[in-house]
Amino acid sequence: MKKLLLYLILTLIAFLMLSPLLWMVSTSLSKDSVIVSTSLIPKEFTLENYVKAWNFPRIFNKDVTFGTFFLNSIIVTVCLVIGGLFFDSLAGYVLARKDFPGRSLFFYAALITLMIPFYVTAIPMFLIVKGLGWINTYQGLIVPFLSSGFGIYMFKQYFQTIPIELEEAAKIDGYSDFWIYARVIVPLAKPAFATMGILKFLWSWNMFFWPLIVTTDIKMKVLQLGLTMFRGLNVTQWGLLTAGMTMATLPTILVYLLFQRYFTSGLIAGSLKG
Amino acid sequence: MIVTNRKEKVGYYLFLLPAYLIFAVFIFWPVVHSLYLSFFKYNIVTITSPQFVGLRNYLYLLKDEVFWISCKNTLFFVIGTVPVKMFLGLLAAMLLNRKDLKFKAFYRTCFYIPVVVSMVAISIVWMLLFNPGPNGVVNILLSKFGIQPLGWIADSKLALPTVMLLVIWKDLGYIMVIYLAGLMAIPDEIYEAVALDPVSSWQKFWYITWPLLKPTTIFILITQVIDSFQVFTPIYVMTEGGPGYSSTTIVNYLYDKGFREYEMGIACAVAYLLFVVLLVLTILQNKLSKAEEVSYD
Repeated sequence: MKKLLLYLILTLIAFLMLSPLLWMVSTSLSKDSVIVSTSLIPKEFTLENYVKAWNFPRIFNKDVTFGTFFLNSIIVTVCLVIGGLFFDSLAGYVLARKDFPGRSLFFYAALITLMIPFYVTAIPMFLIVKGLGWINTYQGLIVPFLSSGFGIYMFKQYFQTIPIELEEAAKIDGYSDFWIYARVIVPLAKPAFATMGILKFLWSWNMFFWPLIVTTDIKMKVLQLGLTMFRGLNVTQWGLLTAGMTMATLPTILVYLLFQRYFTSGLIAGSLKG
Repeated sequence: MIVTNRKEKVGYYLFLLPAYLIFAVFIFWPVVHSLYLSFFKYNIVTITSPQFVGLRNYLYLLKDEVFWISCKNTLFFVIGTVPVKMFLGLLAAMLLNRKDLKFKAFYRTCFYIPVVVSMVAISIVWMLLFNPGPNGVVNILLSKFGIQPLGWIADSKLALPTVMLLVIWKDLGYIMVIYLAGLMAIPDEIYEAVALDPVSSWQKFWYITWPLLKPTTIFILITQVIDSFQVFTPIYVMTEGGPGYSSTTIVNYLYDKGFREYEMGIACAVAYLLFVVLLVLTILQNKLSKAEEVSYD
């Protein structure tokens, strides 16, 4: 009896947590009616809202569709994930394995970056990017975030758990440090790359403030920014609005469902950084 | 030990170069430059070079009513969201942390999905759900219980609470996962030790679980307070700080000063005041987490 009550409560919470999203998907698949739908099951099923939402940005510029925003987000996210993993792990590797003058200084510098909130540096960052002529460019969106103190810290910690003997053997065979990093360390640290990659993906895909200040051209807008244009719509166009939001939401939910175990380990790693 | 020569040591710095070059240009230089600019009048549209004004930007803030309103709103936001999120997150974690529970992974996934959803997208969905007037989803549901339609984001008293409701809903799953990890780290033997004694589950929670969760709680509390002080996106999307200034927070104020009025000096002064508060919290966290090293002995 008590057990049944527990399942009932859990199911109720799960329903409450998911209902805004279920409503979104259901409304996006229904024909617009005069009164907003409160149903979680589509009525008068249609896909036309998705076509409308896809083409909606053409109102502002005939060459721009939802696909433009998607492509921009994909370019920025892919560069930030791959570039970020590469730079962070390179630095993490020497900090974990090598001894050289200034080593602890570099390590503390990485930790200090964690204590500096983004908004404190945002204005001078904007002035630098503006000075470089990088407003409305991909490099303006990407370069400032290509390395992270948290990533360096995580990689350093993980690399230290890998036995050093393998490297020593490669070293005796005369291989260079970069070869050892690329061929010995990286393959052994796949879980760390997966976890950091997921965190970077989520962060890059959802970033908002920075694109908001460094892109003004509609052709350069990332998805999160493109979505804000939907606010100007008449709020009775429920179908179109929810279709747009569903398209924007699905990629992260799918990645989460596919790579769930890396999410949890990433979160817990994140929670131990302090 | 591997013998290293000088050339190799130079190589180490090449490994560090890309990451630290970016830190230098986009974090360390800006954090100094931001402080410097906070003593200058610098409107990037009307003046070409910054003019030194001493403490005038800070004095301007102290006298600006909107700045004080934004501080008050931010505090209200922090106090109204963090404890609620933590209470509900802990509750969800306690409910899920049972060995004999079936579908545990399913429930955890359901609770966690809001965390990965885009804040902008869900804010726009929230605007539709909490649409003021008779055509909002929540108002229609409330009318079934005989409750009059509410103004939600159009009502200066309800605008910020409506955003807070969204943030609580969205972050709950994250806090649950951290608490679950904390709960799973408590060894079963501790509970087994009192299994034969006549203790209620409430006593078990209050005298065993809660004290052992203290490091987790402190970690969540401080990181959540730091994050909540910097809330921006849902407010920018849903209310743009309105109606009036009823939902403007510190970062929204910073954005308005910097990127609507282009007053970079004033915006930097806001950023630095925020920085001082957050730095104190970070240092406090480091102190507390060192003092609270977990021990099950």
